[in-house]
Amino acid sequence: MASVKTTFFNYLYILPVVVIVIFLYLYPIVYTIYISFTNFNLYHFFEYQWVGLSNYITILTSKTFAQVLLNTAIWTVGSLIPMMAVGFLLALILNQKDLRGRGVFLTLLLVPWAFPAFISLIVWQGMWNWKYGIVNKILSLFGVSPIDWFNIVPMAWVMLILTNLWLSFPYYTSVFLSALQSIPEELYSVAEIDGASRLARFRYITLPLMKRTIAFVGIGGFTFTWNNFYPIYILTAGGPGNATNILVVYAYQAAFWNSLYNYAAVYSVIDAAILIVMAVIMLKFSGVLETIT
Amino acid sequence: MKIWDAIRLGISYAILAIAAIIAVFPIYYIVITSLSDVPTIASISVNSLIPKPESLTLSAYKGILFSTFFQGTGFFVWLRNSLILAAGTVAISVALAFLSGVALSRLNVPGKRALMVTVYVLTFFPMTVTVLPLYLMFASLHLINTYYGLILAYSSGTSVYGAYLVKLFVDSIPKEYEEAAMIDGLSRFGAFTRILLPLSKPVLAFIGLLAFMGAYTDYALANVFITSGDMWTLTLGMWYLSFTNRSTLYNVFAAFAVLMGIPIMAVFLAFQRYLTRMYTMSGMKG
Repeated sequence: MASVKTTFFNYLYILPVVVIVIFLYLYPIVYTIYISFTNFNLYHFFEYQWVGLSNYITILTSKTFAQVLLNTAIWTVGSLIPMMAVGFLLALILNQKDLRGRGVFLTLLLVPWAFPAFISLIVWQGMWNWKYGIVNKILSLFGVSPIDWFNIVPMAWVMLILTNLWLSFPYYTSVFLSALQSIPEELYSVAEIDGASRLARFRYITLPLMKRTIAFVGIGGFTFTWNNFYPIYILTAGGPGNATNILVVYAYQAAFWNSLYNYAAVYSVIDAAILIVMAVIMLKFSGVLETIT
Repeated sequence: MKIWDAIRLGISYAILAIAAIIAVFPIYYIVITSLSDVPTIASISVNSLIPKPESLTLSAYKGILFSTFFQGTGFFVWLRNSLILAAGTVAISVALAFLSGVALSRLNVPGKRALMVTVYVLTFFPMTVTVLPLYLMFASLHLINTYYGLILAYSSGTSVYGAYLVKLFVDSIPKEYEEAAMIDGLSRFGAFTRILLPLSKPVLAFIGLLAFMGAYTDYALANVFITSGDMWTLTLGMWYLSFTNRSTLYNVFAAFAVLMGIPIMAVFLAFQRYLTRMYTMSGMKG
């Protein structure tokens, strides 16, 4: 009997979090899934009916959805590869034993991460301006004629990915650097005595030992970038047209700019469904799942 | 061999220097702009970024601090609102994360693995999914345009995630600490608050920072949950000054960005060793 009582009191500790999970996570998600099957929008405000799969059929067969989904993939993969590559390269450079001023360089490199992204994105929005922006003014010093970053689609992607690279590389540099520093020094000195070249040491010591960190960080970065709202919402708002729009931004705009709550719900559900499937596959492959629970 | 080392180091310093300049440039740009007399973005040039010391002025700071912009509100009202929201979010997140995290780590709670997996999966849903239903729910509870509604919404994410972090952290503290204290007559709850609470300070400080930043830099939720000007936060004010109100002087916007951003940056850089370690441990990107 005592154990039942203890268990009950034990639950009191996690009760607040259980309540939050139910009311602020589960309930909204279930409600969103429900809305995605109704005609709840500006025209049927609070007098909506169940419409079955018709929203899903409309959206899944629309050109906009195909484009936005493709954009989300471009955005995620296109951002992640340069971010991780630059982060890894800078970490390798900073990890050299005979490098001086490591602390100073690291502090300077962390600045984009330390400054609130919401503000720096608004600043970048001005700096990319076609006529007046400082980016084009600096490029003109090298004889480059002004580039319309916002209205030429490939240039808009370049702008978005470069800005995201600026925002995110410090995180990858810092995580990779701390992983590199945890590799025992003896491994390298033994290999050096055995005559292994710098490249061989990297290939046979650094890479295998970093694999796990790279997988872990890569999966985290993938899910974060997939739903990274502010860069696209602030810089292009998905434009021109929907040429750079991604699922999460499109859903927000559908709900709060156009009052198409049902469409917003469908986009959100599809967004999360794809992400969950991808994340589970990636976690299975990399064996990170064991470390999470 | 010597010469190769010199070349390698030379290239390394060059890459680091370029990367550092690019990293710092936007912040330098905004600081210099806030101190210069540049009414619009068009007046910023490569030359104006290297100003003469005598041309620097604090007029933009006067402009942002002592003017009202929207429905009679200005910087200090927005700052007050942002700080109230952030403080409330920090208090609730840290308290709930500690209680639940300790329980998940130390107490026998059937079904806790299921709870943690559920929470992990739920974090994949974009916040846009939850904003709309939360808005409808809070509207029926009259929580729109109140501090409570937003604090609740902000705390939900950080307290649940924080509980998970506290659990990971407390798992690494030996049980013997509390067991010894309980033999000496401390209650279970007392053992938690007297023994584990002080030991958990590093992780709780980190959760506090995440909670603060979440509330302080949120725009997406505040934009939906706040409709009256006297409840505006810094982010809503900044959005208004940079995108809605086209007559805003650019150096005034820059001064706003500096006042809102530089203190956060300074704190982050001051505690960078500790923070980067915590971020690495949590496997989460800020």
